[in-house]
Amino acid sequence: MNARKTITIAFFLVVLGVGYYSMNAAPVVRDDAHTYQGGLEWETDPGTALDAAQSQDKPVLVYYWATWCTYCERYDKNHYRNETIRAAMDDYVLLAINIDDPGNGTALVRQHQATYPPQHRIMTPNGDTVESVEGYIGRDELLATLEKRSEEAT
Amino acid sequence: MTTVVFGLAVGTWLLAIGLFGSVLATALLGYEYVTGDESFLRVSKAAAGVATGSFVIALLYLTSQFLSGDYTNAYVWDNTANYLPTLYKVTGVYASNAGSILLWAMLTAVVVTTTLLLGRYSTRGARLSQSLGMGVVTVFAWMLVNDSPFTPLSAEYPSVAANGIPQDGSGLNPLLVDPFMAIHPPITFSAYALMVVPFTVGVTHFVAKLRGTESMFDDWLGSMTRWLRGSWLLLTAAITLGGIWAYRVLGWGGFWSWDPVETSVLIPWLGLTAVLHTLNQYRRSGRYAVLAPAATAALLPLVIYATTVVRSGVFRSVHSFAGGGIGSGVLFLLGTTSTLAVGPAFIHWFRTEQSDAEEASLLDRATIYHAAVLGFILLAFVSLWGLTFPVVRSLASGVEVSVDARYYNLWSFPVVVGMLLAGGMYAQQERFSTRATVVTAATVLIAALAVGFVLARPEWQLASTEPFDPVYYRAIGSLSVVTVLPPAVYFAGAWVVRYAGRLRRLTGRQAKLNETGIALIHVGAALLIVSVSFVYVFSTTASVGIVGATELDDTGERIVRDVEGSPYTVEVTNYSPENTPTMTEAAMTPAEVGSVDPSSSVILVKGEVTAVQRFEDTTIAQLNGSRVWVGADSGTVQFEEGSVIVARGTLSDPRSENIDALVYTNGENVGPASAPPTDVYSPRVVDHRFDVQLYRGDTLVADGTVAEQSYRGRDMQTNDPLIERGITGDTYVVGTRTAGGLSIEISRYPLANQIWFGVAVMLVGMGLVFLFDPASGAAGGRRSGNRD
Repeated sequence: MNARKTITIAFFLVVLGVGYYSMNAAPVVRDDAHTYQGGLEWETDPGTALDAAQSQDKPVLVYYWATWCTYCERYDKNHYRNETIRAAMDDYVLLAINIDDPGNGTALVRQHQATYPPQHRIMTPNGDTVESVEGYIGRDELLATLEKRSEEAT
Repeated sequence: MTTVVFGLAVGTWLLAIGLFGSVLATALLGYEYVTGDESFLRVSKAAAGVATGSFVIALLYLTSQFLSGDYTNAYVWDNTANYLPTLYKVTGVYASNAGSILLWAMLTAVVVTTTLLLGRYSTRGARLSQSLGMGVVTVFAWMLVNDSPFTPLSAEYPSVAANGIPQDGSGLNPLLVDPFMAIHPPITFSAYALMVVPFTVGVTHFVAKLRGTESMFDDWLGSMTRWLRGSWLLLTAAITLGGIWAYRVLGWGGFWSWDPVETSVLIPWLGLTAVLHTLNQYRRSGRYAVLAPAATAALLPLVIYATTVVRSGVFRSVHSFAGGGIGSGVLFLLGTTSTLAVGPAFIHWFRTEQSDAEEASLLDRATIYHAAVLGFILLAFVSLWGLTFPVVRSLASGVEVSVDARYYNLWSFPVVVGMLLAGGMYAQQERFSTRATVVTAATVLIAALAVGFVLARPEWQLASTEPFDPVYYRAIGSLSVVTVLPPAVYFAGAWVVRYAGRLRRLTGRQAKLNETGIALIHVGAALLIVSVSFVYVFSTTASVGIVGATELDDTGERIVRDVEGSPYTVEVTNYSPENTPTMTEAAMTPAEVGSVDPSSSVILVKGEVTAVQRFEDTTIAQLNGSRVWVGADSGTVQFEEGSVIVARGTLSDPRSENIDALVYTNGENVGPASAPPTDVYSPRVVDHRFDVQLYRGDTLVADGTVAEQSYRGRDMQTNDPLIERGITGDTYVVGTRTAGGLSIEISRYPLANQIWFGVAVMLVGMGLVFLFDPASGAAGGRRSGNRD
């Protein structure tokens, strides 16, 4: 067998290897009940989130995102993986809704008129919306909003 | 005005004629291939000509409807508006599915018909090729007739049409309002259209092989290479223009974000680059007798795959401007072209005993060249697989997985480094011994790995990694980006040395220019790879919130803030919201009112009061001496002759032969043009502008305007960033309005302009090769010999 054939066979093995490995290494962003934006576990059903909010007496942070949204990647990388922001988010029940496939969140998307990602809303445990953050904002601004509203919304 | 004849709009009839012509041409050309009987040749040429002519006229007609604002056409109403400048009215033609397919169909029909009408392509095999080409046009035509861009508004949007002919369109996607977007789609579709004939020739080649007849692949090789080079030039330009557009239109996060559409269009580009390399070898040595024509045929399915990503709705992307309708046609085309491209080639390969006479060692130039070709295919696979497997996995298990930039960057990076080494070795071996080449390449590899590990400081790493990341991502991600530099320098250097050596031996001017082109393509590629890699890793971002910025007026009031985590200070002045169009611009003149459908309910008019009359408790005012009058209850409005007014009102029955239109208003809906009643009108676009000065220490590094546009009815914003360009990189400032004022984000993109420079060098290089390669039929060309 000549060298060209050898490297062609090696090439196909590499292709198979890359295909198999990369598919299994890809991080899960969503399963049946949760989405894993920013490495956090977010509820995807508004009903479940509000039940949890009432039982824990916490406000709900709603995050409207999409798989193709580049600013969502920035939120993911710069904000949700930041320790200070994560600490502030502990005061909330987290609810993430993929606007392309909102499932049970369809009514909430309509109520909040969240037609493009990324957007955030803060709701009281009773479901009243007290804050809207449309588009991308800096880390400090998000932190200030989260801290201010967690006091007011509960 | 959309004219309907026998239930179909005139434009749709044009498409139907195009469909009829393309079906007839496909059938007759297929018959001519099967039987060898050319007695219907004139008819088939006429049919193809009629089809092409129909599409050209249909596209011109649609464009004229956009330019004149013919809102009786649903597609026009959906994709443009009065306030848009002429350039963006034309952009609207291909802003959505049907128009872009019409553009593609027209260009494809022109290309295929050209080969039919030129006498050069008249062998029996050429008829099959032309039949297949017209077959592709037929599918497009069928899709267009089923989802016509000429559907009347009354059929598509009955509720809108019920209020009469709309005075304004619903608008164009704001992201498309950019000069780069105006030219990006036509260039892309031109590149796509040029791939049709290579596809048909590739398929015909294998059909001929299977039937034991003579292939015309070699006869067409020269012209096909030129077509593919032309396609490469256009596609490279299109991708670059798209990148510049994404850079200018914020919300897309830089010039390349591995969005599904960006990724999908890279796949045919990589495929095309690989094909050009295989054709080059085939032409010179006869190698790749199966791969070269098979890969040539596979380009069109790759292009259609890219279109599937955009249009089918399966792949979600910021490019998914419109969904549904046309997706099934594209999927059908994907299935048939893929089968035709792969099927006959595979059967031929399977049935033919491959000669293996040419023994090549691992370090032969042919082997190294082959490795580089496989590298392109591997890169294309990484992109294709990254798009595909999340969809497959989601369909199979319901679990959604993330494929982000890291997947593409980290899988592509080692392949690119390997290809740079292989390409450098290939060029170096022309003048140096195998031993010297291996020693050089090994030294470069060691240098690359050394800087990769030694300079792997966190801020220089290819990607930030976490302990729970997969091993591969941690290993490659923790390398320094500088790893790419030694192979890139080696690659560019080897091609320059090769060029210098060849230039001395060559005597003809054209051959020298051709050789210059080849060197420029490779040096440009090295420059592009290094600058793209460095921009990714070394770009920085910081942001600051500026409360109260929307309170600023134009008296020089200013707010100064330090940007935390960066060396910048930002100063904001002169906030000025502007409405587009303004109320006065949006209001109709009396002449425009004359063309309004009487059933329109509420309209906005403007004009100078030239006469006033009173009838009992009603006052009416004539505008601009025309037959259009404004009327109101005398108790609420006093009109004054000579004043210019803007009024909103309903069109009432004039009850007079001297009045064509009476706009009935009241005190709250009328006012002088200098201070119109603003609450009667909602502007389509509000443009928020801030003057910004950015300081680094005491040095002013950027000075200009950042703007954010908000769009009524579309619930979205776009931004005009302030970009301060420099040799070392760009300073990029974006302002986003927030409830509290303004959020300013400052990014630094080092080597940003070297990316565009690298592409320009490649384009100039390919331009030279396109014009001066004698072997591809260019200046002073010769035909290539027969190959098997």
